[in-house]
Amino acid sequence: MGGLDAVERGPLPSDASATSDSGSAAGESDHPSVAALRAKFGDAIQGDTVHAGDQTVVWIDPARSLEILTWLKDDPGQKYDMMSDVTGVDYGGGRPVEVVYQMFSTTHKRALRIRCKLPLDALEIDSVVGLWVGANWLEREVYDLFGVTFKGHPDLRRILMPQDYAEGHPLRKDFPLRGRFSRAEQTRRALAQDVERFYGPEELVEGGAPQQVAARSEPAEGEG
Amino acid sequence: MGLGDLLPGGGTQKSEGGLGMFGAGSPTFLTTKIDEVINWGRRNSLWPMPFGTACCAIEMMAAAASNFDLARFGMERMSFSPRQADVLICAGRVPYKLAPVLRRIWDQMPQPKWCVSMGACASSGGVFDVYSMVQGIDTIVPVDVYVPGCPPRPEGLIYGLMMIQEKIRQESLGRHFEHRAEDPALVAAPRADEEEIVGLTGPFGNSTHQEKLADGRIVRSPDPNDDVPV
Repeated sequence: MGGLDAVERGPLPSDASATSDSGSAAGESDHPSVAALRAKFGDAIQGDTVHAGDQTVVWIDPARSLEILTWLKDDPGQKYDMMSDVTGVDYGGGRPVEVVYQMFSTTHKRALRIRCKLPLDALEIDSVVGLWVGANWLEREVYDLFGVTFKGHPDLRRILMPQDYAEGHPLRKDFPLRGRFSRAEQTRRALAQDVERFYGPEELVEGGAPQQVAARSEPAEGEG
Repeated sequence: MGLGDLLPGGGTQKSEGGLGMFGAGSPTFLTTKIDEVINWGRRNSLWPMPFGTACCAIEMMAAAASNFDLARFGMERMSFSPRQADVLICAGRVPYKLAPVLRRIWDQMPQPKWCVSMGACASSGGVFDVYSMVQGIDTIVPVDVYVPGCPPRPEGLIYGLMMIQEKIRQESLGRHFEHRAEDPALVAAPRADEEEIVGLTGPFGNSTHQEKLADGRIVRSPDPNDDVPV
């Protein structure tokens, strides 16, 4: 097939105009999981849309997220056995922080994106580490950078920022770009870090369960 | 057969100044200043401690590889252990989380030691004028040579190391402690005081003047009126 055939064929599905970002109660997707989710969970499904041509997005009730995600993983018709990514989005302006689960079913060869809207005064959601072990560090990252607490996470510590970071959660829209402290204070705090405590030999054990490290240091919490 | 027989001119000629003063009537003696010998040895056997954290490290590797061959200048061996290193090459951006590690490596290096800050990020923070990034490693360790570039080409790094060699050439053993003095109180502490760090790392271009309030006071702790979490 020649290089110009793609031009002749016209736009690919992903070039189609994007639908609204907020989803709709009526449902726009013909993704088989969406209909199944609506039939099974009803009101807990807050909306769905198709994003960027072929990415189905479903908004669910965060209070029932664990139940829904467990079903999505275990139901023979769904079998979303791979958690590709857990991440967060803060749109700013007092709007809710969203936790995004990007999943893939290696059985049915389908991808699905689940999103949960968390109001800023209740940034907590059930951890899915019990379902997908790979979500462990991803949830730690969301906790570190957005301040979302994952209930039931075995080792909820900061992962990217220093353990004793006290300026808050940097990817939140209300976080100033250069941090909350002066550069001098940031430098002083950085050099005062106890390196041995955070880079101990236990951290370097290959294949070691990171959960075992949890008891050593409490997650440093602080909005600055 | 003496050493002088193997040397150009049979070792009987008197040359002028610096190394290679063979004379005093005997071909088997070499007379020079002890400074010259020691500095000659030091500057031609610099072992770099590579602290490569980003794309600058790729150029540093290129400088060490065969095309540019840092070994021609005595950097025969990249010393991945600070205890056996003479010159710290900080190549790349350094986040605050890594700052104590860099400082620990510098403190572990034995004197005499030198430091090259390679590239824009190591020298000034570069484009990363953000919450997580050290704004120039000179707030953490003393820097001898800054190599500009993003990243610098291997020639740039080699030129920077040749400047280190030139610096060593001008050092004097008599002023060793002056050149090499270390304040024990500065171990694991910032190199500069608060005003100086704010001055060094101050906002460029259209960055916000976040550290200094209108009255010139430095913001030490979060300002309650600024960006209150919703």
